[in-house]
Amino acid sequence: MEDGNQLLRLSKYNQNVANNEVVIVDYGMGNLWSVASAIIFLGKIPVVTGDLSRISTSETLILPGVGSFRRAMNTIRDQSIDKAIFDSLQNPKTKLLGICLGMQLLGASSTEDGLTEGLGLVQNEVVKLANSETNPIKIPHVGFNRVQMSKESKLFDQIAIDASFYFVHSYAMQILNDPSIYTTTTYGHEFVAAIESGQVFGTQFHPEKSQKNGLKVLENFLR
Amino acid sequence: MLTKRLIFTLLYDNGSFMLSRNFRLQKIGDLNWLEDNYGFANVGYQIDELVVIDVSRQNRDTAKFCEDLKRLTRDCFAPIAAGGGIKTLEHARELLRSGADKVIVNSALHDQPELVENLAREFGRQCIVASVDTRKIDNSYRVLKHNGTVETAHSLDQFLLRCASLPIGEIYLTSIDRDGTSNGLDFEVLKHVDHIKELPLIIKGGIGNADHIIAGLSDNRVDAVATANLLNFVGNGLARARELAISGGINLPKF
Repeated sequence: MEDGNQLLRLSKYNQNVANNEVVIVDYGMGNLWSVASAIIFLGKIPVVTGDLSRISTSETLILPGVGSFRRAMNTIRDQSIDKAIFDSLQNPKTKLLGICLGMQLLGASSTEDGLTEGLGLVQNEVVKLANSETNPIKIPHVGFNRVQMSKESKLFDQIAIDASFYFVHSYAMQILNDPSIYTTTTYGHEFVAAIESGQVFGTQFHPEKSQKNGLKVLENFLR
Repeated sequence: MLTKRLIFTLLYDNGSFMLSRNFRLQKIGDLNWLEDNYGFANVGYQIDELVVIDVSRQNRDTAKFCEDLKRLTRDCFAPIAAGGGIKTLEHARELLRSGADKVIVNSALHDQPELVENLAREFGRQCIVASVDTRKIDNSYRVLKHNGTVETAHSLDQFLLRCASLPIGEIYLTSIDRDGTSNGLDFEVLKHVDHIKELPLIIKGGIGNADHIIAGLSDNRVDAVATANLLNFVGNGLARARELAISGGINLPKF
């Protein structure tokens, strides 16, 4: 009897831990420490790992990323992380957030370092920020910028309309006329600042670097 | 619209934070001092970006720097750039794994341009901040390397032209003459930045109060200003300066 109770408690405990875990996919690129500290700040347990079984069984995944799209996709394919992510999404409860390059990797392709196929979880393409004689912009797009939020957005729930988020990128995801929920930013041209498509979420900006507003976006994702 | 940035720079020397005047360093305090005088988890909410540079001139201990960087950045949810003596890809990767989003290179721009190429290939050019130190010598702006100790053959114009050909994301331009003086930014250096007008520009050296910040950010060639003055902004000094800048019409993000 006592043993049974203990087991029950133990299994409940394990479940709670599992429910609180956020797997941060480590494929050798990106500032994992800052994402992990934001997750701790929000009362969850970050698990920074490239382990395929941890990724494929996780219900909450974050795909961070800084660097080149081609290099990141090569590593992700070489290590079969793409398959582990697809497996995890077979579970309808699983949700995935791509951050910065991590969001771009969710798309169909990028033109960075030559055309490279992405994970294809959303069909959007990634192209270089547009500079032109008539509308000169400095590239990369670095700093805090405002966004145009969609009313249906889960990520931007309860966030002030004039909130700014930290961007640092030279390539950007194009907006499609599809059922995804888009939050956009204009710099040179209008592009995806955040995308929400079923289980798949992404932000071009760094929520873990965007002060209180960014933490709120992460909290909304984890909710 | 993209906002301007107010950047706070910390100069780190083997566990201590330093005040710099014309690149001569004076120890102010350790992480605890910083915590007591700035409440670093809070100061993160008052700046647009943090720069942390390991300026140790001897016995640089990168592992310790990374540990302290982690401690410093644990509850600081602002962008962070780190650097100081980066000579290898692995060194840069360690910084990026310890809380930094961007790495700062200075002497490598002179001595190892191939490292800059490699860093960009690995982490993307948006990840590379090129730090350039200049001072006026015989009435023209020269570029110096190795913590401002070695005068190079380059004029500021020439060197920025060279930087523009490297895969970098931003320029962090310091006036050694104004560094730590609180006499205000050196606007004359801005006459030499034509070659890099397609890159975001951070200027530093001379900020002592909110008016200096406002003057810098009002210039349309300037994207960001940085101050490393550890003593002028203690307590809520940065927050106050930020509020003054916003009420003075500067486009800074509202947190």
